[in-house]
Amino acid sequence: MTRIRVLFGVAAAAMAVGLWFALTAPPDTLQGEYSRLINIHVPSLWLAFLAFGLTALGSIMWLWKQKQHWDRLASASAEIGVLFTAIGLFTGMVWGNAVWGRAWDWGDPRLTTTAVMFFVYLGYLALRNAVDDPLVKARRSSVLGAIAVVQVPLVYFSVNLFRTLHQTQSIRPDGSTMPSEMLVAMLINVAAFTILYVALMAARMDIARVEEMSREPGTLAGDAIKAPKLNEVKDV
Amino acid sequence: MSFWTQTIEIARIDLRVERRLGDTLRIVLPFAVVALLVFPLALGIELAVISRIGPAVFWALGILFGMQVALRQSVTDSQERRDLHALAGVDPAARFVGRIISGGVLMMVFLLVLFLAMVLLYGPALPEGSWSTMLISSALFSVGLAELGTLAGEVTTGLRNRTALASLIVAPLALPLVIGASQSLEALSRGTGILTWVLLMAVTDLTLAVVGVGLARPLEEATR
Repeated sequence: MTRIRVLFGVAAAAMAVGLWFALTAPPDTLQGEYSRLINIHVPSLWLAFLAFGLTALGSIMWLWKQKQHWDRLASASAEIGVLFTAIGLFTGMVWGNAVWGRAWDWGDPRLTTTAVMFFVYLGYLALRNAVDDPLVKARRSSVLGAIAVVQVPLVYFSVNLFRTLHQTQSIRPDGSTMPSEMLVAMLINVAAFTILYVALMAARMDIARVEEMSREPGTLAGDAIKAPKLNEVKDV
Repeated sequence: MSFWTQTIEIARIDLRVERRLGDTLRIVLPFAVVALLVFPLALGIELAVISRIGPAVFWALGILFGMQVALRQSVTDSQERRDLHALAGVDPAARFVGRIISGGVLMMVFLLVLFLAMVLLYGPALPEGSWSTMLISSALFSVGLAELGTLAGEVTTGLRNRTALASLIVAPLALPLVIGASQSLEALSRGTGILTWVLLMAVTDLTLAVVGVGLARPLEEATR
């Protein structure tokens, strides 16, 4: 528990630093203050990709090793990934509304593919909820977890595959298209969000472990009381 | 029995069961054609609009009703049938591939009839080469959807809310197939190449096939 508290403490400090950088970096000339949303939008979606990648890794490792902690990793990561995808979608819509004049623009395939990815993992979580037995749950969801990750490259490369309103990757092998102050602020926020993700993962996996232990048959109330044997009962 | 003999046998049995039950051609297909009729009525009788949206409506209905084909009753094995397959030594991978073949064949027939109905009802302006593009797209789309349907059907076997859950799993995962299929016709209209879209569908199909064959045994155990 101390480990998780420390992790959350570090995450809170990192988020505070990230917020400071996000608010002090110069705004974009055209987009104004709305450009600061990049410091939430990009880290959230980066974490969603990371989370779903780890879900796939946990699923594949479970199928290979059949160790329960891999299933815990996969499910915890999927839950957190769905949360960050929702945050990424929401901030994208707010940003799109300000810049394009519409919250949902069909000219942006990344928005649509991200929404679809969100539903893929909602399906994954729904499948987990539909099964009670932990072993069956792990077996079935690991198959889906291993397949669902194909959605991630489709979302990432959608801006290259289609004609789109959405800008292409800002950070490329040949350098960045962003001003250095904005880039530094965004990267610090990416790091801060990643620490938050690690803290949330540690907490969620601990909860999952406790949930599993609570399902194991243990001592029932009244187990200590034994029925009297007839030959021990003395006539009064 | 070799792997391929088992595969062909499974596909043959599936198609024979389907011929007797008639889920796809006697229920799902007429339902999809009714849906084709509903769209123009809801949009208003504007021939130019109807003609333009025809191919898009076709692919939208293809995915929605294709899911019903992929998750049809005839591929839902009872526990007894699963036990029988296991005792008879049927390779789970052969069962998976057999299901894809039977599902793919049915889906292909379903899509071709639906496409003909769409051309007849909507009168779209199809560019030259549409029929061959449509055949390639339909084949790749059918295989992919059959793979997804088989996988989703397996992971949801025996669950109370199986149909809804399997549909929730299949629909978003089928996105690369829908995009590839619809964009290939679109690309033809624009005069650009269809190779990118065909490759997208082919890679998706191949990935799903590798995953499905690789995970066939764990899936078999998972559903016991």
